[in-house]
Order: sequence, then structure tokens, then C-alpha cells
Amino acid sequence: MRTTPVRLVSVLTAAALLAAACTGGDSVLDAGNDDPPETAAPVTTPTVSEPSGSAPDSEVDSTPDQPDAEPDDTAPPETVGPTTTIAPLADLPPCPVEALDAADGPVSITFWHAMANELETALVDLVAGYNSSQDRVQVTLQNQTAYESAIDKYIAGGVGSRPDIVQLPEYVVQAFAQSGTFVPMQACIEAADFDMGPILPRIADTYVFEGIQWAMPFNTSGPVLYFNRQMFEAAGLDPDDPPVSLEELRAASQQLVDSGAAGFGIALDSGRDSGGGWFFEQWFGRAGEPFADNGNGRIAPATEVLFDNDLGLELLTYLQDMTASGLAVTVGDNSGGQDTFFKMIAQDAPAASTIATSAAISSVVAALGSGVAEGLTPDDIGVGPMPGPSDTPSAQPGGASIWIPAGKSDEVTAAAWDFTTYLAAAQTQSTWAAATGYVPMRSDAVELDPIAALYAADPRYRVAYDQLLPTVDDASAVVPALGPLREIRAQTADAVAATYAGGNVEQILADAAAASNALITTYNSQN
Amino acid sequence: MLAPSAFILGLFIVYPLGRAVWLGQQRCNAFGDQCRSNGFDQYLDIFTSNEFQSALRATIILTVITVPLGLFLGVGLAVLADKHLRGVGFFRTAFSSTIATSVAVASLMWLFLLQPSVGALANIDWINSLFPVIKDPGLLQDPDTALPSVAMSSVWAGLGFTFILVTASLQGVPRELHEAAAVDGATGTMRFWKITVPLLAPTLIFVVIVLTTRAFQTFGEVDLLTNGGPRPGNSTTTITYFVYGEASVIASDPGLQAGGAVLLFVILLFLSGLQLRGLGRRTDLG
Amino acid sequence: MTDVRVPAPAPGTAASDGDEASKPPAWGHRTHAWDEPHGWRRFGRYALLVVITVAVLFPVYTTVVSAFKPSDKFLVNPLVPDSFTLDVIREAWTSGNLGRYLFNSTVVAIAITTAQVVTSLLSGYAFAYLRFPGRKIVFYAFLATLLVPLEATVFVNFQTIESGLTLPFSLPLIGDHIPFGGLNSFQALIVPFLATAFGTFLMRQALLDLPSDLREAARLDGIGHLGFIRHVAVPLVRPTLAALALFTFLSAWNQYLWPSLIINEADANTVQSGLRVLSKSNLDQPNLVMAGTVIAAIPILIVLIIFQKQLVRGLTAGAVKG
Repeated sequence: MRTTPVRLVSVLTAAALLAAACTGGDSVLDAGNDDPPETAAPVTTPTVSEPSGSAPDSEVDSTPDQPDAEPDDTAPPETVGPTTTIAPLADLPPCPVEALDAADGPVSITFWHAMANELETALVDLVAGYNSSQDRVQVTLQNQTAYESAIDKYIAGGVGSRPDIVQLPEYVVQAFAQSGTFVPMQACIEAADFDMGPILPRIADTYVFEGIQWAMPFNTSGPVLYFNRQMFEAAGLDPDDPPVSLEELRAASQQLVDSGAAGFGIALDSGRDSGGGWFFEQWFGRAGEPFADNGNGRIAPATEVLFDNDLGLELLTYLQDMTASGLAVTVGDNSGGQDTFFKMIAQDAPAASTIATSAAISSVVAALGSGVAEGLTPDDIGVGPMPGPSDTPSAQPGGASIWIPAGKSDEVTAAAWDFTTYLAAAQTQSTWAAATGYVPMRSDAVELDPIAALYAADPRYRVAYDQLLPTVDDASAVVPALGPLREIRAQTADAVAATYAGGNVEQILADAAAASNALITTYNSQN
Repeated sequence: MLAPSAFILGLFIVYPLGRAVWLGQQRCNAFGDQCRSNGFDQYLDIFTSNEFQSALRATIILTVITVPLGLFLGVGLAVLADKHLRGVGFFRTAFSSTIATSVAVASLMWLFLLQPSVGALANIDWINSLFPVIKDPGLLQDPDTALPSVAMSSVWAGLGFTFILVTASLQGVPRELHEAAAVDGATGTMRFWKITVPLLAPTLIFVVIVLTTRAFQTFGEVDLLTNGGPRPGNSTTTITYFVYGEASVIASDPGLQAGGAVLLFVILLFLSGLQLRGLGRRTDLG
Repeated sequence: MTDVRVPAPAPGTAASDGDEASKPPAWGHRTHAWDEPHGWRRFGRYALLVVITVAVLFPVYTTVVSAFKPSDKFLVNPLVPDSFTLDVIREAWTSGNLGRYLFNSTVVAIAITTAQVVTSLLSGYAFAYLRFPGRKIVFYAFLATLLVPLEATVFVNFQTIESGLTLPFSLPLIGDHIPFGGLNSFQALIVPFLATAFGTFLMRQALLDLPSDLREAARLDGIGHLGFIRHVAVPLVRPTLAALALFTFLSAWNQYLWPSLIINEADANTVQSGLRVLSKSNLDQPNLVMAGTVIAAIPILIVLIIFQKQLVRGLTAGAVKG
């Protein structure tokens, strides 16, 4: 009887050995794929459409992805219109924008969002402003704590449990467009004759899939460099001229470390939505290179990623060199986004800078304003463009957008659209940007106060806006649209983490690309 | 009279289990709304997949750390605080106190404790010079220390439970036995092994069972402390977190999720079999 | 599975159902202290106890210190309580919504506890005293559900709760569809846990331990089943009921996975899922999160102090289920 615990342990150990013996299996996502679907099989979702009048500016190429099309030879987007794997706009759920007029009383809608910290406060204010400005729609906010949660809970819930309007990040565009559970924003835009003109094309295009505008951009951000001006000065660097290219960042870090002004030049991470995934994609965009084939997945569903190339190698090597030489430090997965900032105020060996979303400005300023770090005021933090593999500041729009779930009553859909137009209005965008650090998604908002005044008074807020302005004509202008992009980000984040840990970067990169391609193949065979 | 219980158990345990077994052989699209049957050998595929094996390994390591350590600490402290000492009540209260912390409370306490830049532990110099990993990259950030750290927080949270049980059970050990043995010249160590341990055995088995089951169901600690990370390797993704965790690779495939959940059940069933045998024998003797 | 006698609540302590077993670890003094250590041994033991106490209480200490420090101080020296404010606690209570979460948790835990006590009494009684065909099979079926971990069923339960239950037949009053309130409702948090096989066994065991002629005598007095349960059984099995209630309350209160899955509206959170929300959306303010944990821990601390007597039995009772 007394042997039972011992036996338990021995059984566990045996199980562990068994487990060890079994490794080298496949990914769980290959489960059941004993006869892998023909890779050449076209996407299974029905209608490969005929050219459709309602799909904008498109001469629809109805041939879906060909698996072995030479990836380096992606046709330029101007000459090939988008493929349609979903349905032409006319066959998608309509947007009864007028239905609000017929509603008896105020229509209540729930809005799922994922704004944390200061951003949530700002959003609450914004929604309160909307609710009190009119009596037709009442919006209730529901904080889902993170985009990931919002996505998981949206997918897990049935129609009845889904919100009336939801904020979703740029990396789910393809999967959610293909889900068949949304009213395409384009339907509302056309029905209401909404003017998309002032919206920066690069931002609007982020949420276009197969020629259809699926969502309305709302909170647009970009990665920027946050740095400690005191440390820059102490190291003899000009805090008004932060590093723009990766090589400048290396040199500045060297100077910061050598001078003893900081423990590390920069705090890096391997987060999926930061250093491990998002920035990695961003750097491809910055270098003008596509991250995936078929025009970054925008012309037709992508069939493979393209990051296993010289640029990918160069980037990972750079990250490995930076950390190995002690110029940079990694804080790990940084899942809440705060660890790199904490590293900047660590008591010993603090980092002089970090790359993070521009949306963190408000939280950083508020935190420093409350005196959280001794001897560091909000003014001591500088903001510069995202350092990247080129000498010219530029970034792809990130952040999130507004989606309207289908299957709701006409009034609710109309109310959701009404609220969307509020969020997309120039004045709202100006107020929102000033309160957060997101950038206004439309050019006319920049001329309105409070953001106009803020940009004039505090250029730090403007950095993220300016780096979105450069016109990029090719597919690298916007982040890739990939069905399993969030899983692929997990792959690149693993790769970046393995790089910091000192692995062989060529192997790491090849493995990540292979895993990503398998994800894409599986996705394409199932959707 | 049975109806209420039978209805609830049938609806929320029997039916979902059966349905999960069925769902577990399906694969679904990215939105989980179109599924196809894949055959029951999909269970084998899931079981042997890298992700499940890695989660199984994490779960087993967690168990192998938390169960013996939890048992050792619980018994050790209970014995230590069992002596007739002035003020022992204070120590007992202290050791029992973690019973009041839920998984969420305990994990959040540890999250701040272990934060590598500004956390409490990072502010104690002598500990940091002994264990530089606390600051660089951080106990929860280093793939080698993350899982043991999660285990530590789990052991800590379970300490009050073990301590209270063992202390209560120690009080059932007749003093006269010890006294008599001591008179016969038995040392403290001898008395511990020859008298205390055998009499505590039922409680100890219980504690082992509870701690094992808890370890296999670990979710909250991982959700709050590491999100299943750190990368690469996701060394803290337990089976439960693999199935239900935020942004798990299978989060959008109900088929694979159900499959993973059923496998967890089967593994626990296997362990329960052993446990029941131990228990059954125990009660026969007792 | 030989006749598994449902393990009495606590091997080791439960053999005797009396007060002795249900006592909390006695903090009091014993009379004969023949083995009380002396001199250096005594000092060494104290030293060891103090060191371990410091280590065990350290996370609690840092939490409390940072929860009561103002935002501009808590990162500067997180180990030293050099300043004090209630502002952060207040903020956690109001904007952190902890007050609402505590209310929800209380409602849910009390509802589950009450329901489980009732359903367990009823089904325990049925297994103890009623003779009906298939009793043994049903009994083993109940037993088997103990082996199914929550983790294996929440997946489908999510769907059941969300869409309700459509019956293949129509029931009086209810009809053929039972809505469970959908996600975010109290029902969603409560209904799946209204009954457990564990409670059933515990009560069956306690009822079987009653003198066997008691039921017979009651029957001769014309007391029916429910009357017997109410007037005869309940007063006699009160210690077991209390243990079951405390254990049920604690496990209901501490649930984490289920509420985190089915709640997506701020106001519907329980303390545990609410802390999750608080933490995930305020990671840049650890002191606010720490304040939240302090608030969340206090009520349960109070409950435990009040019900100290039932604690050991409650815990061991629950241990059977794991």
C-alpha cells in the first residue's frame, strides 16, 4: 500500500519515456491528413466567381492559387485583379443602412474590443461621447482583454453569442473574410455612399481581401522606437536624431553600452504581436519585399511564405548578433507588451530603447507622469521611426479595424454601421489619436484639433503617422493577408526566440518557413 | 429523487463526454463550422503529434515536480510545526494561509514577484547574484526555468492544503506510541519512519492523488504566468492549456480540441485506475 | 472495482465521525511536552520555522506592500512599505470592477452550494434507502462520472449552455427547449454544477451510517421520504453536510477555466475570471493588479476563518474528488 505513490511516480516516468520515444511526430495540424489533400486542389469554398460588377476595379482572374507558381515572379498587382474565393459582393450579406430609421426606439448594440490600459479609458470616453450625442443607438463596450481572446471567443460562440460589432486586428483579414460570418464593410460603404476618399489608401487596403473592403480601419498604429533621451545624451548621441536603419541602431547601441550610459542599447522581444511576428513582417515591408506569394496574399490566397531568403537571414543574423554581443537584450515573449518598457526602467542594466506600437505612447506618458520611474519624466522619452532594413522611415499600418457580424437584425446592423461611421469620422479619429498614440486613419483628421494641436506641440505623436505616408506601390505596402497568419506569427516568433537563444539561423529560418507553408497548405485545403 | 442529479450529470458529464469522443475524430475549417469525419485513428495522430507530446511532457514534468515537492514540504512543515513550541500557532497559521489563495490570486502574486525588471525578487541583490537568471532573462522567460517556476507557484498555492491535512492527521497519531518508542530508545528519525509515516499513509496517498490530478489539470497558472511560453518550445504549455489556451494552434478547430480533451480524460482515467486501486486497498485495510 | 466503499471523507481522520476528526489543526497547547526541544535544538527549530515562514509569506508580503503603495512609489522599492495609500485598492474596486466580481462569485458559489447540498441529499437518500430496478447499475454510472475531468466536458458544455437544450419530446411547463441563459449569465456559471456524484456518495455514506432502524421507525410513524430527510436525517448528518457545503463553496469560488471560457462581458465575470481580465488589461500597472488580488483573497479568508471547524473535513471530503 505504501508503494502506491512510488508506483505512481514510476508510471509517470514510464509515460515520460514513452512520450520521449514518440517525439519526432508531426504537427497536430496534420492530424488525420493521412492522405494529404492534393496540394493542387483549389480552395474548396464554393463560388470561384465570375467577374462581378460590384467587386471594385477588378478584372477577376478566376484561377485560384496554383501551388507551384514561381514565387519570385508574382505578377504586379496593377495588372491582375484579385481572385474571389468567397463570393461576389452581391451574394454576400447586405447592409441595410436605412433600417435604423424604422427602429422603434434606441437600438442597443454590443461592441467587443481589446483595448487595455489607457487605450480602454480613451475608448470608453469615445463611446460615451457617441451614446450621448444621439438617441438612436446605445453602444455597450465589452472588453475581451486581448485580440487573441476576442478572436477565440468569436469563433467559439455561435451567432447569438457574437457581438454586434467587433474590433479585430489586421492579421485575421483573410480568415475572417472567408468565415462567411460578416457583413462586408464594402456593402455598407456602397449602400450609404460613404466617402472613403480621405482614408489613407495604405490603411484602407490593409482590410481589403479579394477586392472587397471587409472592415473599417479604426485604431491604426505602427511600430516606433521609444528611447530614453537622458541616456542618449549621456552617450553623446543626438536625442533628436534617433537611429533609423538597423545599422544605425547597432552603432547607437554600441555607443550607449560603451559609454556606460545604458546596460543595453535596446530591449527586444519575441512576442507574436511585437518582435517575433509583427516587426518581422514589418521589416519585409520596409525593405519592399513581399512576405508571401500572390502579392502578399492580397491578389489571391497565398500558397507560401517567402521569408526564407537573404533578407530573412540578414534580419535574424542581425538580431542574433545584437543580443550575443550584449548590445541588445531580449525580454522573452512579452505577451502583454509591458516587459520591454519595464526593462527600460530596470534598476540595473536598463535598456536605452525599445520598439513597440505607437499606441503605447499614452500609457507610457501616463505611467511616467505618475512618477513610476524615479528621475524619468514623460519628456525624457523620445519617439523615433521604427528602425528597419532601410534608411527611409516607413511602416505598414497595423492595429485593428471594425467588423460587423452578419446574422443580426436589420436595425442592429444599421446601428452598427452608424456607430462605425462615428468611429471613422474625422473628428473622432482626431480625438482618439490624441488620447492614445494611434494615428488618424484619414488625412483630414490631422487638420482637426486636438490632434493638430498635439502634433504641433509634441512631434512624438506624429512619428507613427509620418512613417505611414510614404507611398508604396507594390504588395509590400500592407501586411500580408494569410489565412493562418496568427499561427504563422507564432512560427516566426519561435524562430526569433530560437535566434536569440543562439541557434543556427539558416536552419531556424528554413524550419519556420516549412512550418508556415504547411499551415497555409492545411488552411487552403480546409477553407 | 434521483432525477435532478441524474439529469445534471447526464447532461453535463455523460453527454458531453460522448459527444467529445465523437467530435474528436473530426477536422474542421478555420472557423470550426464545417467539419468532416476523419476516422478514430485521428486520436492516434493527435496523441503522437509534436504539440501533444510536448504538452504531455510539460504536464508530466509539472507533476513530477509538484507532487513530491508539495508532499515533502507539506509533511516537513507539518512535522516541524507539530512540536510543542511556544508560538507554534503563528507558524501554523502562516503555513496554512495559502489555502485562501485561488489559482488566479496565487499566480498573479507570483507574476509580480518574478517580473525580471521591476519585480520584487529582482530587487534583492544577494538572490540575484546567486541566480542571475532571475533578471536575465527572468525565471518565467527562460525556457529552462519557466516550467519549474510555474510548478513553484503551484506548490506554493497548494501548500496550505497539504499542510492542513497532514497536520490534522498528525494529531491523530497517539502520543503514547511516540512516548513508548522514545522510552525504548527510538530516535526521532526512527519514530518518524516507523510510527508517523505508516499512520499518515492514508492522508499521504490522498495528497498524492489530489496533487497529481491538479497537476494534470493545470491551466490558470499557465494562462496567467506564461501564456504557454516561453518561446521557443512553449515549455509550459500543459495539455489543458494546449486544448483551451488563448491562441492555441488548435483554438479554432473544435475537432482537435475535443480530441485533446478526450485524450486528457483517457490519461487521467489511467491514473485514476491506479488511484482507485490504491484507495480501495486502503479502505479495505482501514 | 471491488466494492469500493466510497472512501470515508478522510482516510486518517474520518474513521471516527466525531468531533476529534473535524477539528482544525489544533492551534492550542498540549499538556505533556516530553518531546519539547531544548537549547540549541530549540533555537535551531525556531530559526528554521522563521526562515520558512518568511519564504512562504514573502509573496503575500510583496503583494500587500505593492497594493498599498501609490503608483509613483511601488516600483522604486517594492520591498519596503515606505508609503501607504488606499487609492489603488479603491481603483481596483471601482474601475477594476472587483466589487461586481465579488458579488457575482458570491451569488454563484452560494447557489451551487445550496443546490448541491439538496441534490446530493436527495440522490444520496435514493441510493441509501430506495429499492428500484437497476439501482446498482445507476450507482456505478454515478460513480463513473467522478472519473471524468471537467476539462474533458467543458468543450461541449460550452455549446450546450450557449444554445440551450432541445429535447426530443415536450415537457409540461418547460416545453421542448431549455434555455440555459446563454453565455455570460448566472445560469451558465451555475447549472452545470448543480449536482455531483461526489456529493451523492458522501451523503449516501453518511445516511447509511445512521442506525438502520431509524428509517423503519420513521416509516411506522408515517413519515415520508422528504419528511424523513428534513426532520430526521439532516440534523444527524449535519457535520457531513457542512463539510460538503464548505468544499463545494470553495471549489465553486475557485473555478477558473469554465468562467474564463463562457464569460465575455465585463459585468458577468466571477472573481477569478475578473482577475484575469484585470491582469491582462493592466499589465503596466502591477500595483493595481496586486490590489485586485488582495481584494479577491479577503472574502475567502474570512469564510475560512469562520468555518475553520469544517475546513479539514471539507478539504478531505473534496480530496476524494480531486
